[in-house]
Amino acid sequence: MAFFNRFESYIDKNIGRRRFGYIVLGLIILFFLWFPNDTSQSNYAKTVFISGFFYAIMSSSWALLAGIAGQFSFGHMAFMGIGAYVAGLIARDGIIFATLGIAISPESISAIGSIIIGTLIAGLVGLVIGWLLLRLRSAYLALFTIAFSELFRIMMLTEYDYTGGSNGLSLRPLLQITDVDAARQVEYYLMFALLIVCLLVMYWVANSPVGLFLRAMREDEDAASALGVNVVRYKILVFVFTSMIVGLAGAIFYSDVGSERIIPEQLEVLQMSLIIAYAVIGGMESLIGAAAGAFISRYLLEATREVVIALPLGLTLPDGSGAFVWETGAWRYALFGVIMVFTLRYMRNGLLYPIITWFSGRDLAMKETVSKRKSDDEYAELPEAEHE
Amino acid sequence: MVIQDTLFVLWLLAAGPLWAALGMFLLPSVNQGKAEKDQISTTTLRIAGVVAGFALGPIGVGLFYFEPALIRRTTLTAGIILTVFVSSQVLVRIINPDLPSGLWLILAGPLWAALAAYFLPRQYRAVEANDQNVLTAAALGGFAIGPLIFGLMWKNTPKISRDWMIVLGSLGAWQIYTLFAIHNATNPCVAAPFHITYLTQQTANGIVIGAIYSLMAVGLTLIYSVQGIVSFAHGQLYMVGGYFSFYFLLHGSNVLSELTGAEISINPIWGIPVAAVIVFIMGAVFERIFLKPMHEGLIERVSEYAILITFGFGFFIEYTTLAIAGPFPQRADRFIEIRRFQLAKTQITEEFAFGPINIIGDRAFTMVVGIVLIFALLYFLQRTWTGRALRATSQDRQAAAVTGINPTNMNTLSFGLGSMLAAMSGAALIPIFAWVPWVGAEMVGRSYVIVVLGGLGSVPGALLGGIIVGIVEALGAGCHPDPSRGAAYKEAFALVIFALVLLLKPTGLFGREQT
Amino acid sequence: MNRKTLFVYLGTLLAMIALIPVGMVQADGHCEFADEAITIGALVPLSAPGSVEGGIAMQWAIEHAASGINADCGIQINGGNYRLEIVVGDSEGSPERGQAAVERLILEDNVDAVVGVYHSAVGLATMTMLDDNGIPTVFSEPWNDNVSANGIIEYEGKPPRIEDGIDHIFRISPASSMVGPVVVNWLLSLGVENVVLIAENTDYGQPAAADETARLEAAGVNVEKLDVELGTEDFVPILSRIQASPETPDAVRLLVTGETSLNLTQQMAELGIAPTGDTICVTNQYAFNSDTYWGTVPDGNYCAFNRVGIIPSLFNDLGTELNAAFEEAWGKLVPSYAMASYDAVHIIANAMEQAGSYSDAATIVAAIEATDLELSQGRYYFDYGSHNPDLPEGTPAFMWHQWPDPIVTVMQYFEQDQSALNAAVVYPEVYQTHGSSYIVPGTSP
Repeated sequence: MAFFNRFESYIDKNIGRRRFGYIVLGLIILFFLWFPNDTSQSNYAKTVFISGFFYAIMSSSWALLAGIAGQFSFGHMAFMGIGAYVAGLIARDGIIFATLGIAISPESISAIGSIIIGTLIAGLVGLVIGWLLLRLRSAYLALFTIAFSELFRIMMLTEYDYTGGSNGLSLRPLLQITDVDAARQVEYYLMFALLIVCLLVMYWVANSPVGLFLRAMREDEDAASALGVNVVRYKILVFVFTSMIVGLAGAIFYSDVGSERIIPEQLEVLQMSLIIAYAVIGGMESLIGAAAGAFISRYLLEATREVVIALPLGLTLPDGSGAFVWETGAWRYALFGVIMVFTLRYMRNGLLYPIITWFSGRDLAMKETVSKRKSDDEYAELPEAEHE
Repeated sequence: MVIQDTLFVLWLLAAGPLWAALGMFLLPSVNQGKAEKDQISTTTLRIAGVVAGFALGPIGVGLFYFEPALIRRTTLTAGIILTVFVSSQVLVRIINPDLPSGLWLILAGPLWAALAAYFLPRQYRAVEANDQNVLTAAALGGFAIGPLIFGLMWKNTPKISRDWMIVLGSLGAWQIYTLFAIHNATNPCVAAPFHITYLTQQTANGIVIGAIYSLMAVGLTLIYSVQGIVSFAHGQLYMVGGYFSFYFLLHGSNVLSELTGAEISINPIWGIPVAAVIVFIMGAVFERIFLKPMHEGLIERVSEYAILITFGFGFFIEYTTLAIAGPFPQRADRFIEIRRFQLAKTQITEEFAFGPINIIGDRAFTMVVGIVLIFALLYFLQRTWTGRALRATSQDRQAAAVTGINPTNMNTLSFGLGSMLAAMSGAALIPIFAWVPWVGAEMVGRSYVIVVLGGLGSVPGALLGGIIVGIVEALGAGCHPDPSRGAAYKEAFALVIFALVLLLKPTGLFGREQT
Repeated sequence: MNRKTLFVYLGTLLAMIALIPVGMVQADGHCEFADEAITIGALVPLSAPGSVEGGIAMQWAIEHAASGINADCGIQINGGNYRLEIVVGDSEGSPERGQAAVERLILEDNVDAVVGVYHSAVGLATMTMLDDNGIPTVFSEPWNDNVSANGIIEYEGKPPRIEDGIDHIFRISPASSMVGPVVVNWLLSLGVENVVLIAENTDYGQPAAADETARLEAAGVNVEKLDVELGTEDFVPILSRIQASPETPDAVRLLVTGETSLNLTQQMAELGIAPTGDTICVTNQYAFNSDTYWGTVPDGNYCAFNRVGIIPSLFNDLGTELNAAFEEAWGKLVPSYAMASYDAVHIIANAMEQAGSYSDAATIVAAIEATDLELSQGRYYFDYGSHNPDLPEGTPAFMWHQWPDPIVTVMQYFEQDQSALNAAVVYPEVYQTHGSSYIVPGTSP
């Protein structure tokens, strides 16, 4: 305790907590940049990290949509799937609009082109869904998006003549590197860069005036609208924006970067619920929290497949072994559920919130909630500033 | 064992008039004020009682008994459906099946619907008319009668009543059926003369399974009506209710056999109360710990918190069950030793025969259990003090608190009851379906469809919604033009209705109108 | 958030991470083991959406084989006794997770060989990686024709990845195209004219359905194919559709697994569609698990099913022993994929002993190709491989590194609550146990 106090005051006096926070963040990024060069690590570790980055993008963009904008969507995985499936179908079949006389052969579309088109289509569907959802709130919105994503999954599964059904659909490989080690290295940096870029863009959005409007909308849509926030525009905007992010992430991840093919099972409600759980555990209102939550949760879920408790003092079990091995099986998911429920009840801002708060030196997320807003000068000025 | 022919027909013949008589005497005794408020005369009530009793038996009588306001709408709908059916039959025979304009007609419907849905509400707002249901009416109308809807609704901006929408909706349904009949003449749903039997069979399938679906949906709607939240743990509570029943029956009969030394098996019906009690306690405890703070102002943004916390609860239940019970399919013994009820084939004219109609015995039994439980709940809600207190809390928390009702207890009671209903339907279905820990997922999706269709918070709505969803799924799978895809898309049919209802009329059939 | 909470919280987080030291101390028996151990990776589905039920049975069989080998002082190579260790990789039934699991097995756990695989999609996605890394592999359950096949792997929109055959992958489960003909020939021998085929829309159901449809139609049989989605519970509407069709089908063939298959069979029986005097009910290997089958399909008497793997009446001593052990552990009959997984471990262990090495992939593969070993499912051998590389004209590509003898039979229950051990084998004739090729419902052989 005493040491921590001394440490805290030292930091406050000499560096400043915020700056210290940036230093730590920089160190973490440096670690991720250095990691693939660690020769003692195998390609498997990189694979785990690549899929960790992907889920971090999914989780943090969901945090933007649900935590910051208050649009509680279960359709996130479906938008990811739209990005990936459209990219795959275009790369395989090309684009044909018989009535307009347009026919583009698949050979003339590059992998990048198909990814871009996939992303745009995901954004377009996001636009339509966002527009349709304008009238729906909270539970209705959640139910509608569940229905939407289930419909999409069933279609992908049943129309196997086009989509490959449960065998999945291969996308055109984005990278053409034959050497496995080098390829994995490039894939790692590509996915990491994508995560950083997505986080930066989302962070920028969340902290721009648009972010303020989104938060105002989340707290009270009618009040925000009365104060001059164009609710319709921003609601649709946030849907389009996050759909494009996950569409892009999906199209890239399944272009043989993280996985070789996308399967409809990936779009099940269970997978979506895991994304939500990661974001909740990491902190729904913090983009970095949600990203880190996804990364850490995935690691822990993977690492706790088998829990080995070594007995101390040379004790042995009746069968002579010195360690107690517990195959966790489904129990680890049950425990995950417990953690999620207790996080929600007792640490609403996520398990990583205390750390983020400490670094920022002030209470970040709580300030934005209704009850505390009254006592906060910064936010008292908000309505006037944007009241045009 | 299969009960066939005469017995079932006799039952049908005896049951119809019996229920009709009951309906005739029972309905006018409904709280007079209620009927008067809806301007329904005693004679209408009597006639409705006879018709509903004869056609739908206990379901019809019960429905009208508790919701007399339904009578007019039901009569109207039934009339229109009958007209549509007959006229489309006529039309199919007149129109040349090779008409190419058919495709254009199919495309035109949604197009006009979208146009109307975009422009008409604006017009209503512009003239400051009540635009409550305009969107729905415009979309339905655009689909049904194309550009004519603009003429009808643009200049006049008439007040949109439910009757309006029923007429337009039925017209749309008529179009779909006709187009279907033209383009897919060999489909069993339209190919005379078997289609009458076939449609009856599928409708019966739908009603039987739909009544079972309702039981689960009623729990969901009850929780919503009192607490204003949607429970995302409902599917898992349904699943775990089935398992409680299964393990109780398994171990209960083992224990009894050991005690008495004789082979004793317990009828699965006893699993229902056991599962109900255990899950009621589970639900109530969960509510006390995790949902109570929500109503005390300790939680920000309650509706999202409620979604997530119930979701996490369900996640926990599902994986704990998987860890304990394992992934192997299980199933309880059947309720009754009758494999199916069958209405035998009856030759009516030379070329037209009716039947056979099959209903699986256990399902029929479960349907009865489900309906009895729903009406018991309606009785509890409408005729007992606690039930009235629950309804009062759902209508106005503050006012209820003033009259001495403790809203906190009512919250706990509602969540416990809602969870209990899910568990009861689980216990009622485990003799019918093979049970695995993820069995709740499909079922709960359907429950959401039902409650939204019936109107979140309305118990009779959930009953009717369940039957509608059952029928739509049965007809959808049964009439899909491509038989190989029909079954695979079965779940999707309900989801399409769901999306349409949410978009066009989020309050559903009986939901409270937004103010 | 005060500091105390922060400490409590950080402490909990650290404690959670500290709980996960990896490494295991094993009991030493009577044998002198070498310091080094041989590791074999078991790639099985242990989480949804994979088939958990199949995965845990395979995992059990693989570990059972390993403990049996270790009890006999492990694998003897050049006079040393090497302990056999099993590392489990969870494929979760998904190609993506399967690839990650294989990568972990190869790179982190440095496995010397791999056995297992339940889902074909996982087999297809991981075989190139296993082959590229030179890991001798024996697949024990994927059915897709292309698994381990020689040079015909086509990826959508991509050039074939393997031109010169897959050197390290073996398969002892049948290819889909080896299963289909048995059932089809049986149905044809019974003279069917109308068949309804109900298939799940997965990588098992669809290829199998396409194959059987083609074979039946080639013989002039009228086939109606229906797709169902796994997880659907109520099939009455679609079954009513079958019932309403003017022609009563002569047979209903189910290519559906899991609880979905059981629901479908039971509802079909309840509605009186099949099995009846007019209509034959043919389901698949899933019905062999008779406890589960009778527990969930009480009306399913007289249903026939295809059985893959050795039939109970032909169980050898090893098979009987394995079945008893499985029944003790799980209270169920041993499924064929558990037997195959058990045998796969023994095939590899034997090959390592023959090759005199556990790390030299080339010699191990050569030793597997030369396998001639009697195990729980019968005698194992491989006709085509690098020792005999030219497949004769007309031999399908999947025969490469394929055990040619997986027994595929049609069995039929004829008594209520009958154990699959006593069920009748009705086809092919050589295996017939009750002297008849179909037991008409209501009669007994």
